[in-house]
Amino acid sequence: MTGRLSLPGVSLKSGSGLAMVLAKLRKLWHTLIPRFMRIMISRLIIFVPQLFGVLFVTFFLIRLLPGDPALTLLGNLATPEAIAALRERLGLNQSILNQFVLYAQHVVHGDLGTSILTSNPVTVDLWERAPATFELIFYALICTVVVGLLMAALAVVRPGGFFDRVGQLYGLVAGAIPDFWVALILIFIGFHCLNWAPPPFGRLDTFVSTPPRSTGFLTFDSLFVGDWAAFGSAVSRLILPVATLTIVNAGAVMKMARTVLAANYNSDFAKHKRACGLREGTIVWSALRNSLPPLITQLGFLAGFLLGGAVLVETIFSWNGVGQYAVQAVVRSDYAALQGFVLLASIFILLVYLTVDIVYELADPRIEV
Amino acid sequence: MKLVDCIYRIAKRPAALIGLALLCIQIVAVLFGPLMTPYSPVEANPLETLQPPSLQHLLGTDVSGMDILSRIVYATRINLLISIGAVGAAFMVGVPIGLLVGYYRGPVSGLIMRIFDFIQAFPVFVLGLALVSVLGQEIWNVAIVLAILFTPMFARLIRAEVLSLRERPFVNAARCNGATDAVILFRHLLPNALTASSVQISISIGMAILLTAGLSFIGAGVRTPTPEWGLMVSDGAQQMILGVWWDSLFPGLAIVLSVLCFALLGDELKTLFDPSSVRRRR
Repeated sequence: MTGRLSLPGVSLKSGSGLAMVLAKLRKLWHTLIPRFMRIMISRLIIFVPQLFGVLFVTFFLIRLLPGDPALTLLGNLATPEAIAALRERLGLNQSILNQFVLYAQHVVHGDLGTSILTSNPVTVDLWERAPATFELIFYALICTVVVGLLMAALAVVRPGGFFDRVGQLYGLVAGAIPDFWVALILIFIGFHCLNWAPPPFGRLDTFVSTPPRSTGFLTFDSLFVGDWAAFGSAVSRLILPVATLTIVNAGAVMKMARTVLAANYNSDFAKHKRACGLREGTIVWSALRNSLPPLITQLGFLAGFLLGGAVLVETIFSWNGVGQYAVQAVVRSDYAALQGFVLLASIFILLVYLTVDIVYELADPRIEV
Repeated sequence: MKLVDCIYRIAKRPAALIGLALLCIQIVAVLFGPLMTPYSPVEANPLETLQPPSLQHLLGTDVSGMDILSRIVYATRINLLISIGAVGAAFMVGVPIGLLVGYYRGPVSGLIMRIFDFIQAFPVFVLGLALVSVLGQEIWNVAIVLAILFTPMFARLIRAEVLSLRERPFVNAARCNGATDAVILFRHLLPNALTASSVQISISIGMAILLTAGLSFIGAGVRTPTPEWGLMVSDGAQQMILGVWWDSLFPGLAIVLSVLCFALLGDELKTLFDPSSVRRRR
């Protein structure tokens, strides 16, 4: 390894001592650490200040409340003593910096306050409800991507064909439909008219017992213990909400994928492959592979949209996830719960973007890390 | 001559015609709504609750016996007012910020862009929900929150244009002629940078309508009995399971058509300003 450090070009020419050390470190970074690890490390280093920023924002969100937070939290009927006590407990008499440090300490210890609505610690409430939301988002993400990519591929392969026309119409309309309205129409058709969809109340049929929690995803948990009744029930309950999110969001994915895919499918390398006599399927596949980087970025945004959509869809299907929890918190002015939800949502988005950045750099080997 | 040419170009495009027709319907509903509707939009009639569509009530009545058609027509006012107001405010604030941030580059500009990054990184609906509940669930607060959410987009579009324009010779020429920064910014850069963000206005209005309706739907926006599309869908949501379809269907359809109208017009404006994009789309 020492031999590598004294390569010509790195040594001596770099001028001052500090610059030389930096150049050597840079060289070390590129030679010693594999690309995958470089990507991970550089992203994780940015992640920490980002988390700090998120804490800062959720803290100030509640400080934005007009008037005295203690009064708002306790309501108009609170006695002055109770308000003074809560001000003391919340640390409102201290400087704003101390308050922020106090809040950060609480969060790090997993204390997000107590929900007025459920009188449980917010952490417990979120822990119970989060898997429901993430299960919904997980399946909606898969369905949206599959439908969007499939429609895009079919449209690109035959321009002006049936799928191209249908796709253009759908791409136009999909952006204009409110998700809550689609959900209601699906309920009306599936439950009331056709009578094959289960009623929109929760994640399981009433007589089915919840499988023991390991992942929190009912579809996975029920499979782990071999509980087929619970599995079937969970799947049937998932169909309508997932369909709602898919119908609303697949349009954007399709439009985006179509543009990128068409550029790759009509490019010189695709023509060359065709001239070489490769099968159409192989060419489409390689066009898809080359469209991957921008699509990955799009997926990050999609996860965010799905989280926003889940808030509405959960409310309609009584899903009892964090989205519905947030809506109840808003309606009942339960600020601790709302703050907890915003923190959870921010961390989720940060993690999604972190993953997107890492996968993006992995998918495109040309990017210097 | 130019106007005739413009009309001819629009007439050839069905999407533009549909968009304009929908816009006209909405303008008529906003201006003459009270004259056309036979029923009051906020007066309950306990004798006629949940009537299916008939000749008396073309689109039926809701749980309180209010005429749905009248409410939809009245709601056009409040929905468009919030959406257009919010997007207008975002445009008025975002454009100067974008100009300044693009022209003067320094730590302050960097900080502003980081804040915008943060706002835009969030899922719009989640951030909107949190802000509305913190500011208080009032109709004007919904508009303010939407304005906050849309400002970064306009600022970013303007900034991108300014960044490339400020290096162009005509800016240097203006400076050599003794133009002050203010003159360069507002006389030379602004008119050249406006195209992209003007096109974005129409699309943003559509998005704002959707967001307003979503916030009202979960009870974080306008309150009953104010006629508002999202709230009307929400009022009918319980009945949908029992098979009362007209209560939610028609207000939702109004949302779809209204958003579609602004999306179509936005698309058409884009092709009108940038004809090269037509060929690219084919």
